[in-house]
Amino acid sequence: MKILSIFIITMILGFNINAQTSYEKRMEEAFNLWEEDKTIEASSLFERIAKAEKDNWLPPFYAAYTLVISSFEVKDEATLKLKIEKATELLNQASSSSPNNPEIMIVKALANTAYINFDGQKYGMTFSGKNEYIYQTALKIAPNNPRVILSKAEWDMGSAQFFGSSIEPYCKDIKRALGFFQNEEKSEVKFYPDWGEKKAQKILDDCEG
Amino acid sequence: MRVLLVLSLLLFGTQIIAQHQISGAIKGQRGLPITGANVYIVGSYDGATTNLEGKFSFSTSETGIKTLYVSFLSFEDYSLTADLSEFKNLEIKLKEDVNMLDAVMLSTGTFEAGENSRVTALKPLDVVTTASALGDFLGALQTLPGTSTVGEDGRLFIRGGGADETQIFIDGMRVFAPYTPTANNIPTRGRFSPFLFKGISFSTGGYSAEYGQALSGVLKLNTIDEPDQEKTEVSLMTVGLGVGNTQKWDKSSLSINANYTNLAPYTEALPNRNEWISPLQSMSGEMIYRYKTNNSDILKLYGGYSYTDLDLIQQNINFEEGFRFANENRNLYINGSYKSFLGNSWILNTGFSLSNDNNKSQVGEDLIDNNDNSAHLKIKLRKRINNNFEFNFGSEYFITDFDESIESNLIGDFDYGFQSNISAGFGEVDIFFSKKLAMNLGGRVDHYELWNQTLFSPRASIAYKSGEFSQFSFAYGKFFQNPSADFLKFNDTITAENASHFIANFQYVKSKKIFRVEAYHKTYDDLVKFDTEFPTFTSSYNSTGSGYASGVDLFWRDNESFKNLEYWASYSYLDTERDYRNFLEKARPAFASEHNLSLVAKYWIEDWKSQLGFSHVFASGRNYTDPNSNGFLNRETKNFNSLSLNWAYLIDKQKILYFSVSNVLGTRNIFGYNYANEMDMSGVFQREAILPNTDQFFFVGFFWTLSDDKKSNQLNNL
Repeated sequence: MKILSIFIITMILGFNINAQTSYEKRMEEAFNLWEEDKTIEASSLFERIAKAEKDNWLPPFYAAYTLVISSFEVKDEATLKLKIEKATELLNQASSSSPNNPEIMIVKALANTAYINFDGQKYGMTFSGKNEYIYQTALKIAPNNPRVILSKAEWDMGSAQFFGSSIEPYCKDIKRALGFFQNEEKSEVKFYPDWGEKKAQKILDDCEG
Repeated sequence: MRVLLVLSLLLFGTQIIAQHQISGAIKGQRGLPITGANVYIVGSYDGATTNLEGKFSFSTSETGIKTLYVSFLSFEDYSLTADLSEFKNLEIKLKEDVNMLDAVMLSTGTFEAGENSRVTALKPLDVVTTASALGDFLGALQTLPGTSTVGEDGRLFIRGGGADETQIFIDGMRVFAPYTPTANNIPTRGRFSPFLFKGISFSTGGYSAEYGQALSGVLKLNTIDEPDQEKTEVSLMTVGLGVGNTQKWDKSSLSINANYTNLAPYTEALPNRNEWISPLQSMSGEMIYRYKTNNSDILKLYGGYSYTDLDLIQQNINFEEGFRFANENRNLYINGSYKSFLGNSWILNTGFSLSNDNNKSQVGEDLIDNNDNSAHLKIKLRKRINNNFEFNFGSEYFITDFDESIESNLIGDFDYGFQSNISAGFGEVDIFFSKKLAMNLGGRVDHYELWNQTLFSPRASIAYKSGEFSQFSFAYGKFFQNPSADFLKFNDTITAENASHFIANFQYVKSKKIFRVEAYHKTYDDLVKFDTEFPTFTSSYNSTGSGYASGVDLFWRDNESFKNLEYWASYSYLDTERDYRNFLEKARPAFASEHNLSLVAKYWIEDWKSQLGFSHVFASGRNYTDPNSNGFLNRETKNFNSLSLNWAYLIDKQKILYFSVSNVLGTRNIFGYNYANEMDMSGVFQREAILPNTDQFFFVGFFWTLSDDKKSNQLNNL
């Protein structure tokens, strides 16, 4: 009988754990796909999770983030617009469950950058102003968020290069971001965005190299 | 122990039974497999992405009746509700979403500018960095096919139509006095600064039933919904100065601009053909308030006021001491619009515009004072039934109250004017039969209170996508317009003029290259005729004039073949004749040239942080009447040529220096001839050429933006 009760308890616990982690399991599955460079599959899976998890900003955030990243390689305007419009919809879902979230804001800015990257003459004028505004607002909300500092510095470097001025001050920003990355505490929220440290290090190496 | 076994079997057993295997394949309409489609059970985490063969397969622990959902970019979403056990080896065909970007477009006759349009003939920056445009968006539009270069006028002349046959709308509401006042032979400019607008749609024929009271063309300008950031802008130019400030709040924003223009230094420094008593000066101020509600409804209010005066003596063969012209203009324009998403795919657009335009002019010895009060009210509802069908309908009301008085030693003092109210209703349906074939059918009814007359104008267009990058389209429409105030003020028995358009269009768009050819035939009827040299009270008027215009417009734009270079070319062939105004017979009007050609190129030099611009405008000769020989409009001037250059230099992120020179080669262009009223002693009518005020125009400007981010600039302000 003892064995049986242990067994049953284990089963129940097991089910419970299963129930608790089916979100986590799926999210991990999506991250694995992403790591394997299956960005479309990862994005689809994040989107499916977003459909089921209405009040959680993370699944739509990652669904949008993966879409935006994949849109940088798009060669035709129609597809680009479709991807960004879908990403924007997902980001709106994310920000309705987590308003004024700087992590979401910087992905919005990244979506605008995808347009500028595609055709600067056509989109530069409108979207660069929007991005300035987004980065400033994000920085006001989270002055010590390393991803905000990193994204803003990258953006600033892009426009500094365009105008032929020094990128030196922005290298300092990257250094500052790295400091924050190293001291960043792991968030209690599972899957909370923690990207950026490697990228910051790489940009800093380029700065110094 | 046996109990345990049974129990565990039971437990595992249910789990095994609960696992449904879902599988199937997704295809497009032509049977091609769709890769990367997202397939899932609604309300669960279970789903899959289709593979290269369009196949999917996944297992789910859900049970009972569930909904399977399929979504993929550019296709309509698909859903199927049934018992899970039936979701096996499914064959699903997705329908292409016709509202997506690569679907056919109903765009006959129209050019779009701005980042929201699918095929952009002009980019936002082009509007202001085209060399020949001199910072005026009307100048940039004149490099598109279908327009005629009328160098001494500056307004838009479309496909054989006069300038007042084109109407301008801001946010759907009519602009009653869009051009700045000027004197003869000095081209006018648009009153509105181009940076107010996020999108420009320029239609040279066959436009929607929503737009009436225009025989030849409509220009639709859409103001920006939300400025990007707070900023202060300062501009110093050889012709004046300007300041602007934008404030932004959570849901609303306010922009204020003020400009002062004075041509005195310019006319002092450079030779010109007129004797200026008081060179042109103008002061203007404008204010725009925008408010966005939580559900994206937008309210916009625009108010602008300007004052302009000028006084000059122009050479004239019939006046030994020259001909005096002075004008003092006051213009107030208010425009309000409201767009609301009513839910259930209904969209409401409503608005008003009010205008007061006052001119006090001295023409020779006569003093003329006129006052035009006009208003436009409109309401429109749009509903989307599904991806294949949408419709809109609405109604509008135009009010014009025009008064003029003349004090003349020659003919005496008179007061006259007219009041004309027009009510109209319009409706349209858009039908997308497939991604390849679409049709628009519509009509409008205008009621003219002046004559108690009701007129119906049908409109239709159809478009067929013939290949991945190409499409054909056709449009037909009938268009009515109230006669010009120039005639109505003297005689209000003449009736509305009309035109019919037949247009065929072919368009090829591949990434950043656009090729477009459009052929058209237009007929004009009920044009106003009069029997004197100028329209006066004593003239007799009737509505028996007629005419036609046929032609071909070509456009080619390429933004990708050469690095850092963008260029476009426009050519228009126009065959037109009219018997209208005081014409003795059918003839090509003096403003129309048979051939018009524009070449525009822009080159970005990274190392110099500069954009160099080049544009060349060519127009073949224009008709004039030589009284020394028989006939009417029997001679043609020489061709018009003008090469313009500009240079925009980004000093740093916030400071721009801008140079522009028109007609670099100093070509002496002649617009026509004025003949003496009397023969000279040898029995010949002497003549003088109608020439521009100056052959060349120079413009130097310095633009400085102050904003928090220290990065935006006024590139868009040039």
